[in-house]
Amino acid sequence: MTFLPFLIILVMSFLERTPLGTISFHLNINNYLRSFEYIYIKVLFKTIWLALIATLTCLIVGFPVAYHLARSRGWMKQLGLILLFIPFWTNFILRIYGLVSLLGNHGLINQVLLHFELIKTPLEILYTRTGVYLGLLYNYLPFLVVPIFSALEKLDPSLREAGFDLGASRFQVFRRVVIPNIKEGIFVGSLFVFIPMLGEYVIPDLLGGAKEAFLGNIMVSQFFVMQDWPFGSAIAGMLSILLLMTLWIQNRWSRSNGFKKGGLDA
Amino acid sequence: MPLDLTGLSKTYAKDGSGFRLFPLDLTIEKGEFFCLLGPSGCGKTTVLRLIGGFETPTSGTITLNQENITHLPPNKRNLHTVFQRYALFPHLSIFENVAFSLRLKKVAKAEIEERVVQALRLVQIEDLRDRRTDQISGGQSQRVALARALVDRPEVLLLDEPLSALDPELRIKMREELKALCKKVGLTFVMVTHDQEEALQLSDRMAVMRDGQCLQVGTPKAIYEDPIDPFVARFIGQVNEITGDLIGDGPETYALQSALGTFKIKKNGHPLSKSINLILRPEKMRLLRQRSQLQENLIEGSICDLTYLGSRTEYSVKVKDKTFKVFEQELERLKKRKLNVGDNIYLTWRTEDAILLNHPNS
Repeated sequence: MTFLPFLIILVMSFLERTPLGTISFHLNINNYLRSFEYIYIKVLFKTIWLALIATLTCLIVGFPVAYHLARSRGWMKQLGLILLFIPFWTNFILRIYGLVSLLGNHGLINQVLLHFELIKTPLEILYTRTGVYLGLLYNYLPFLVVPIFSALEKLDPSLREAGFDLGASRFQVFRRVVIPNIKEGIFVGSLFVFIPMLGEYVIPDLLGGAKEAFLGNIMVSQFFVMQDWPFGSAIAGMLSILLLMTLWIQNRWSRSNGFKKGGLDA
Repeated sequence: MPLDLTGLSKTYAKDGSGFRLFPLDLTIEKGEFFCLLGPSGCGKTTVLRLIGGFETPTSGTITLNQENITHLPPNKRNLHTVFQRYALFPHLSIFENVAFSLRLKKVAKAEIEERVVQALRLVQIEDLRDRRTDQISGGQSQRVALARALVDRPEVLLLDEPLSALDPELRIKMREELKALCKKVGLTFVMVTHDQEEALQLSDRMAVMRDGQCLQVGTPKAIYEDPIDPFVARFIGQVNEITGDLIGDGPETYALQSALGTFKIKKNGHPLSKSINLILRPEKMRLLRQRSQLQENLIEGSICDLTYLGSRTEYSVKVKDKTFKVFEQELERLKKRKLNVGDNIYLTWRTEDAILLNHPNS
């Protein structure tokens, strides 16, 4: 049952749109051929690139958050986790509109900065790529923090002590003991944010002012503007293949790299 | 004197209230197998963690070979810990686990190979070098942890209840190996344990601890034969206790008057208070069928339980409201004398076998 919508999309991607906007049951692969046109490939690579940058940003911001959450104790930890998740008690669209009013030329951030004369003209954040990144960061951060946090929680504290005991400095313990043992968590967290980012369309639309089109935006416009459901489905199909490839790479990577053999050649 | 603890203490709170470890003075000799023995919560692990550098003492100093290491971080101390749950690195092979400290020191690859193999050979697990840590048994993990700690030749090895996670049979086997290993590598071993048998078997000297205090330090024999504290006597081996008052004063002996009768006590030079605990080890007591005029210390009782254990038989003897434990060695294959539950017997002991301690309330 859960696969049914996906199957419908899959089947539709091999059908055709009639000039009237209805669907004709004429099996062909023209939609897929069309999706390889320059304009769509360009958007595809731009989407991957933006999602990678945004994932990296999430990692840079999220890792220290997860690390400090895992190392804090008692009520500090509880408070941290609550603060991380409170935004999710409000509707997604509302949160994005909240960001719009925060980042705009007359938004809170610009008003404060102007008031203290730190800037002379309002910062252009809204409807730029920076706005999109901030939106993605704000929205996806917890999904990256949680897997890393739980990997750190599960890490036996005596491993750290053993590393320290055997002559490693704090940084060496971090690099040679902590990171290798939580890299699964780091990877899973990154995928948790990277994959949905690829299909993102609301954030680029509202915070990027539709100037920064993601593949998701093209897809949505095919469905609801162009009324070309078969082509929209083909783009969705391409996206799914991309996601499967990502998962496959992750799988291969964690299997081959999960363990280091010893010896002279190590 | 390689390892010296002077006035070493640790409190729970930062303001110095509530001692987890009361000020401790201890010298551990080079090449010695030293055990810290006590029940859980006695502060023995605290001592080990302070020596290892994982905690900072509230007061006192730790010196290793005349060098003050009290405030050095663990990675700057020339000693290694074998952790209770081994703490092997799951992302590294057995070989790489052992090579960890050498790689940090940037030792040449060929030398790493040689020294790791040597360390693995020392604990007899050469063939496991390419295994993962989840592909080996508990006993093997123990050996890897030992090899990892020994490979860069520290001066002191700290062992935190290293055998407690093993099953009993393996534990006995590893005890012997651990002792042999200590003599072979000639390092100082400091081990924490709550198992008195383990401590007796392994230590050259040991410290018995309770409630953050060190009660007695000495060889296993001295601790067993001459405990200076009732807790030490009770914790190491089994005891029968008779409480009484000191009366009379002969040239070489006292008399002890108790609810069970009057007994002879040999003077041993220690000052004794009026109220005395007479402590008798079960194996130092004898059972007599008949009252003997030659025996000085006699208590009449009846056997209420006996357990045959092959090399010895353990009797429980009821005397008034007290129960005495007596262990008798089966010295001859067919013992003529057969004692049964319910038999009336006499308990006796040699005067010099009794341990005398001042009653804690006096």
